[in-house]
Amino acid sequence: MRALAPLVLAAAVLAPGLTRAELENEVKAAYLYRFLSYLEWPPPDLDGDGSPFVIGVVGADDVYEALREIVQGRSAQGRAIEVRRLKEGDDTLGVHMVFVGRAAAGSLGKMASRKAIVVGEVEGALERGAAINLVRTADHVRFEVAPQVAERKGVRISSRMLSVAARVETGAP
Amino acid sequence: MKFPRFLRRSVSRKITALVVLSTLAALTVSAAGLIYYSASDYRATKLADVRTQAAVVGRAAAPALAFSDPKDAEQDLLTLAERPDVLHAMLYDAEGKLFAFYARAGYTEPVPQRLDEFSLGIHGERLTLATPIIEDGQRLGTLVIDARYGQRARLLAYTLILGGVTLGALLASLLVSSWLQRAVVEPILGVAAAARGVIERRDLSVRARKTTDDEIGILADAMNSMLADLEREMAERLAAEDALRTADRRKDEFLATLAHELRNPLAPIRNALYILRMEGADAAALSEARAIIDRQVLQMVRLVDDLLEVSRITTGKLRLRRERVELRKVASAALEAVEPIIRERGHTLVVTLPPPGLTIEADPTRLSQVFLNLLNNAAKFTPQGGRIEFALEVRNGEIAARVRDDGVGIAPDMIEPIFEMFAQADRSLERTTMGLGVGLSLSRRLMELHGGTIEARSDGANRGAEFVARMPAAGAEMSIHSIETATRLPAAEGNGRPSVLVVDDNEDFAITFARMLRARGYEVRVEHDGLAGLTAAQSSPPDVAFLDIGMPKLNGYELARHLRALPATSHAILIAVTGWGQDEDRARTEQAGFDGHLVKPIDPGALLSLLASLSKTPPTPAA
Repeated sequence: MRALAPLVLAAAVLAPGLTRAELENEVKAAYLYRFLSYLEWPPPDLDGDGSPFVIGVVGADDVYEALREIVQGRSAQGRAIEVRRLKEGDDTLGVHMVFVGRAAAGSLGKMASRKAIVVGEVEGALERGAAINLVRTADHVRFEVAPQVAERKGVRISSRMLSVAARVETGAP
Repeated sequence: MKFPRFLRRSVSRKITALVVLSTLAALTVSAAGLIYYSASDYRATKLADVRTQAAVVGRAAAPALAFSDPKDAEQDLLTLAERPDVLHAMLYDAEGKLFAFYARAGYTEPVPQRLDEFSLGIHGERLTLATPIIEDGQRLGTLVIDARYGQRARLLAYTLILGGVTLGALLASLLVSSWLQRAVVEPILGVAAAARGVIERRDLSVRARKTTDDEIGILADAMNSMLADLEREMAERLAAEDALRTADRRKDEFLATLAHELRNPLAPIRNALYILRMEGADAAALSEARAIIDRQVLQMVRLVDDLLEVSRITTGKLRLRRERVELRKVASAALEAVEPIIRERGHTLVVTLPPPGLTIEADPTRLSQVFLNLLNNAAKFTPQGGRIEFALEVRNGEIAARVRDDGVGIAPDMIEPIFEMFAQADRSLERTTMGLGVGLSLSRRLMELHGGTIEARSDGANRGAEFVARMPAAGAEMSIHSIETATRLPAAEGNGRPSVLVVDDNEDFAITFARMLRARGYEVRVEHDGLAGLTAAQSSPPDVAFLDIGMPKLNGYELARHLRALPATSHAILIAVTGWGQDEDRARTEQAGFDGHLVKPIDPGALLSLLASLSKTPPTPAA
């Protein structure tokens, strides 16, 4: 099992062989994995039969790669984790959470209209229908949350996760 | 149990020690238990407490770790500021590197940068606890809490509290023990004080005060009753010792008096004998010398009689021979006997007697002896020419003999003592009266044997005295029938006078006795031992035989039995003549077959009147 990347970007200097951009992707992949622990899907979407979580990744191949490595041999809430590379316009049926990369930011609204929880990485992603948005600060990756968006899709975000969110969108979008 | 020396002397201190020490022991044991329990409980509680705290904080801080938010983690750790015992808390990430920390204000110890720099557990007053932070099965990091353990301070506080409690309890126990002392010790001290009083002052009249009804009260009662017993017995003992001393002193005085009184008659007797031997003494002098010898010998006989009575009283052998007797005769015998001294001293005697024929049950000899004693005393203790009254009355079922004189009287403090043995009211050398001090004591005893009393009254010295002897008039009745004297009068022979045999190994007595009888015309034979006496009696049976008891060859008893067994002498009148005059001596002679018992010295007058009464011819008048 590959060790999780140091979550602090400044640690890149201490992690030889990793560029700053590579480290950022690692961190984002790790975040995606960890979000699973704080999200709660209703039963029809997440059966009690031990079926895996499915994370779709659109427009962020590096993140996809990193995430694949991370979930190898790991689980969340007792379930295995499956990572799918998606293209813009692909069907998201059976996918629990979709990461829409910078490159596919244009399809955010379309993705958001579907069942899966959308995680973006561009400014204003929440306003465009994403439930979670990863943002970069000086040397950190933080995240914003719009719990009501998730809730409309029947997904509850743990308050404990909200407590560490950089911003929580409360008003109606 | 061995107490220290200062405790051994005092019950009060022992009780104080008992209460205080037992309180102290109980408190110490309970304090030790409490401290032990508290210490072990505290450890468990403290560990559980810190662990719980760590779990709560760890869970709160998990998302911060998960999403790498040290500031948020620090906020989570800051909740520990509410806990003053938490010195600092550190969050380490999954790699063991410091992620966030909290340090209590003023706490300056450097924070370890890596998790493996810690030594976990309890070190002295420091508790270091590491809790893994696990979220959804993933170990996100570790929370380390460094807290003050506080056990020592807590133990100190406990010890102080328990010390205070112990101090308070000891004060309370001292109060209790002082109360106990009032309730328990004071009664004991009372008893002990009484005991000490008895020991130190030898005062048996001390009594312990009983203040309680418990065992101590019983003790006080027991001690008081023992003291009462002891006191009474001591008093009795002292009285008995006193009585013994008095009796002893009286006995010494008696012996001195006895020697004096026995010696006194010897001088005039000796003088009289000298006069009798003198040639050319005139008839008047000879007659006076004989009278002196007669009087003095009589006096000596009385002394010896008194002595015998003393012996009877002290050996308890004084007995009465009761018989029916005419009261008047009893009085007459006494009056006759006292007549010479009354006359000699020129007293006037006024006599009141009961009517003739009044008989009573009594020992006539003894009763007469009592009257004689009282009369003799009156005569002796009344100066020449006094007046003596003798009144004998039977009234209200009681016989009262009253002897009153106008003599020297009795001092009030001597009225009782004169009845005691050997008592002499006048112990001066110049006393004119004689006697052994036995008479009144003997008289009282004799009256008591008759169921009666003797009392003395006197208005004081030189104002006369009155003695009253009383006894119940048992069987008093009037009778005109006179007592028949049982006589087996032997047939008179020859000249009508009985023939007499005298057997005695004391030749002087036998010869003078025979001479006296022959002078009166009796035919008298004399033998000096029993066997010779028997032979003489066989060869010529006597009418009357006077036999000594202690004799060679054949003693008086055996001789009497032989004579009674022989037909020729079986009817002879046998009379024992002996120095032994006690009741049992009389009983023995009677048993041996004697008809009479005479005690030496024999009053010649009485003897002759006895003999005369045995003969047919009218007797010469008795003296």
